Amino acid sequence: MTVKVEKIEGGTPHDTIMVAGLLASLVCIYLGAALNSMAGTQVFAFFGGLAAVAAIVWGSDTIKGLCSYGIGTGVPSVGMISLGSGVVAFLIATRFSWYYAPIVLVIAAVIIGAIIGYMANDVIMMKIPVMRRAMTEVAVVGGLMLMGFAQMTTGSYALLDLSATKTGPLGLLSAGFAGSFIGAAIIAVAFILGAIAVQHPFNACLGPSWKQDRMIMLAAECGFLSMLPVAFMSIAYLTVPAVVVSIIISAAGWLYTYNQYICLSKRDAAMWLDAKPIKEPEGH
Amino acid sequence: MVENIVIGIGITAFAGALASVAGAAEDVESDIGSQGDPNSQVQLAPQMGYIHRIFNKAVSGEPPAYGLWVALGAGLAAAFMQVNVNPVLALTLGCAIATLVQGVYATTAYLGRIASLAKFGQPVYIDILKSMTTVTMAHAFIAIFASVTMCYLMNAALGHPFPLALLGLIWGIALGAAGSATGNPYYGKERQYQTQKFGAGVPVAASGNIVRFAEAGERNSLDNGWFTAKLGGPWSGICFGLIVFLELWRTVLFEPFWKGWGAIIVGLILILVFTFIDRYAEVWARETFGPYAKEAAK
Amino acid sequence: MTVTPKPTGGVGMNPMANALSIILVIAILGAAWILFGGYALVFKALVAVILGGVLIGFGVHFVPVGGAPAAMGQAPGIATGVAMLAAGAGLAGLFGGAFAVNSDLGLVTSIVAGGIGGALLMAVTCLFVVLVYTYGMGIPSASGKVKVDPITGDSQAEYKSQGTEGHGLPFSSFVGGVIGGFLGGLGGTLIYYALLKVYEDKLPALLSAPVAGAVLPVAISLAGIFAVGIFLVNAVLAAYNITGTTEGFHDPKFSRFPRAIVAALAASAACGFVAILVAAM
Repeated sequence: MTVKVEKIEGGTPHDTIMVAGLLASLVCIYLGAALNSMAGTQVFAFFGGLAAVAAIVWGSDTIKGLCSYGIGTGVPSVGMISLGSGVVAFLIATRFSWYYAPIVLVIAAVIIGAIIGYMANDVIMMKIPVMRRAMTEVAVVGGLMLMGFAQMTTGSYALLDLSATKTGPLGLLSAGFAGSFIGAAIIAVAFILGAIAVQHPFNACLGPSWKQDRMIMLAAECGFLSMLPVAFMSIAYLTVPAVVVSIIISAAGWLYTYNQYICLSKRDAAMWLDAKPIKEPEGH
Repeated sequence: MVENIVIGIGITAFAGALASVAGAAEDVESDIGSQGDPNSQVQLAPQMGYIHRIFNKAVSGEPPAYGLWVALGAGLAAAFMQVNVNPVLALTLGCAIATLVQGVYATTAYLGRIASLAKFGQPVYIDILKSMTTVTMAHAFIAIFASVTMCYLMNAALGHPFPLALLGLIWGIALGAAGSATGNPYYGKERQYQTQKFGAGVPVAASGNIVRFAEAGERNSLDNGWFTAKLGGPWSGICFGLIVFLELWRTVLFEPFWKGWGAIIVGLILILVFTFIDRYAEVWARETFGPYAKEAAK
Repeated sequence: MTVTPKPTGGVGMNPMANALSIILVIAILGAAWILFGGYALVFKALVAVILGGVLIGFGVHFVPVGGAPAAMGQAPGIATGVAMLAAGAGLAGLFGGAFAVNSDLGLVTSIVAGGIGGALLMAVTCLFVVLVYTYGMGIPSASGKVKVDPITGDSQAEYKSQGTEGHGLPFSSFVGGVIGGFLGGLGGTLIYYALLKVYEDKLPALLSAPVAGAVLPVAISLAGIFAVGIFLVNAVLAAYNITGTTEGFHDPKFSRFPRAIVAALAASAACGFVAILVAAM
């Protein structure tokens, strides 16, 4: 006997969230890169984290749409396939300069996601109406999350910067390969951070009394929560002021969204009891 | 690889011991939080009219979740070590931050799932949130710290090419897979459905009717953790410990022989040994327990 | 509106979709041939990645997973998600395989070492599942899909408790699990090896490294994360194919594997091509 998932209509339409999430994410990535290069600093790296938050919000709504049809394997697998296809798109995008890379990311992710969606829907014959579109969207979401986390950790999303940290005033590249974002496999941490963060909002709010605004708030909370360890990890790559700014913004964002999420859960819960016994429903 | 074979074996044994602790702590943590497949029953119970006070920690399954915590701990430790923080301090700090993340995920999962069951009248018990979260975080810290230290040893002492964070991801997923495979049926069938007949699976008709009143009044997840720590937890620990130990042992000792085929042959022999043990256990169960008696038609 | 979470899923194959997928794979292979100098490193690596992905997709069908009912002793199999259990086995295999690759043991030895690593994890895990069922819960193993175990000939029906679909791990499921772990480790290590060779070849020039060996950490990490990513994509597609639960190779659902092979072919070709393009472009 399995949990019945009710498709509740209402709330913001998915198309609105998709466009808003995509635009917000791209704008944040460009802002971060542009402001950093204009000001010659790394302080604006946190914009990458905000881009990831926008992508997570978008992705959680996509997953909600897909999993409402019942895919049989559960929600976390969608997070895995999102990042699995996203990492491929992200890494090819790192080969391009900072103004083309996000566009290349979106194009590459759309292609790979479409292929995977076609495989899942037509070859594997899952025959879910939104499967192809959902797979495409989550691929873009995965790629954007990775690009955002990469920017927040290292201040850049170009392959050269991600593979080699510049150590010391002489900038000896060879010393920096093993400690870089890719060399030290911090990309693996960003990978799994994103995979869990994108599927958690729907997975945690699953149930007959699902409400969209609560899920979106949880998605934002997961995003800011993911930004916190990324800010700590950026200590190896960014200057101290940049790290401090990242930590402050992540902590502030997380505290706000977490508090809001608790308030929304209080609003939606049947009862909010502290140390009270089990109250059997009538007729039981 | 290792120049000194004795150090290699010593590190292997140490890694195996750490893995055992990690596996045991992981399983007990996931049973206190009720994570993974048995959690579907905790989710189902209110829909069948059984209100409960169990912690509903729906943070994906255990493999991806532990993949995240251990990878986080490892990645943070690696980053700290890069800025010349002492390795022991770096590992501890990294695992502490990862545990905090785990705790937050646990609370949001409980609130989200229970709030979404409002239609069936399941209340959110704040005292459950307050008392269970710290216990599950404590167990998680043990599991994460042991795993990350084990990965650090593999990378630094045994010379594995993968960097610490990638090892953390790999062994986190493996830890979750091994721990959940071994511990989940024990928690799900033996503890959650304690009132069902011993020695048989739970019939479909009883789905959702989990135990809610038990030894000390209303059952909560700490009671579940106490029970599974008796068998499910330690056996999950031995399972994961064996996996890590044997994987490392056969590689460190036997890879120099026959250009790597020594390790492969030893691995095959080990698999055969386990197959025989499995077959023995299966036949023993069939002969000792006997077939189920057919229920007389009423 | 209530939607029940079991998909209608389809049985049988969609010939048009399969044909399109094969054409896509051939097109990608052709592009690799033309763009990167014929039967050279890049083409061989792409073929290896595709083969690895297919092995993974195929191997997942052997792994016995019972899902939520298995956690209650209502269905046989392991009580974990199939994609992540296969990932656990495959990645443990990749761990062992990476050790072998690092010791320069050559292609065949490395991937077999990876396969044995995955099989070992599955063997230990399946053994402990049976031990917990037998000695911890007093429940014998029984299959719900076959009357007689295909390998041992044990009859299953009378060892199934009332109201359940079976429980534990019958011997065929154990063997299936070990085979699935082997194929997963094999495929994962193959993908890792292929990508590592490409990156070792192309990255030094790309990253202006002072000496070729300096980029080895980057090459290893890049190959490793791609191996994990492509592994997960193939494992999840295969998990969709079996709709989450299977008893192993004796389960009727096993006959669905051709669809997963075609899907793995195309998905691995696309991801592998882009992965190689990262360095070779």
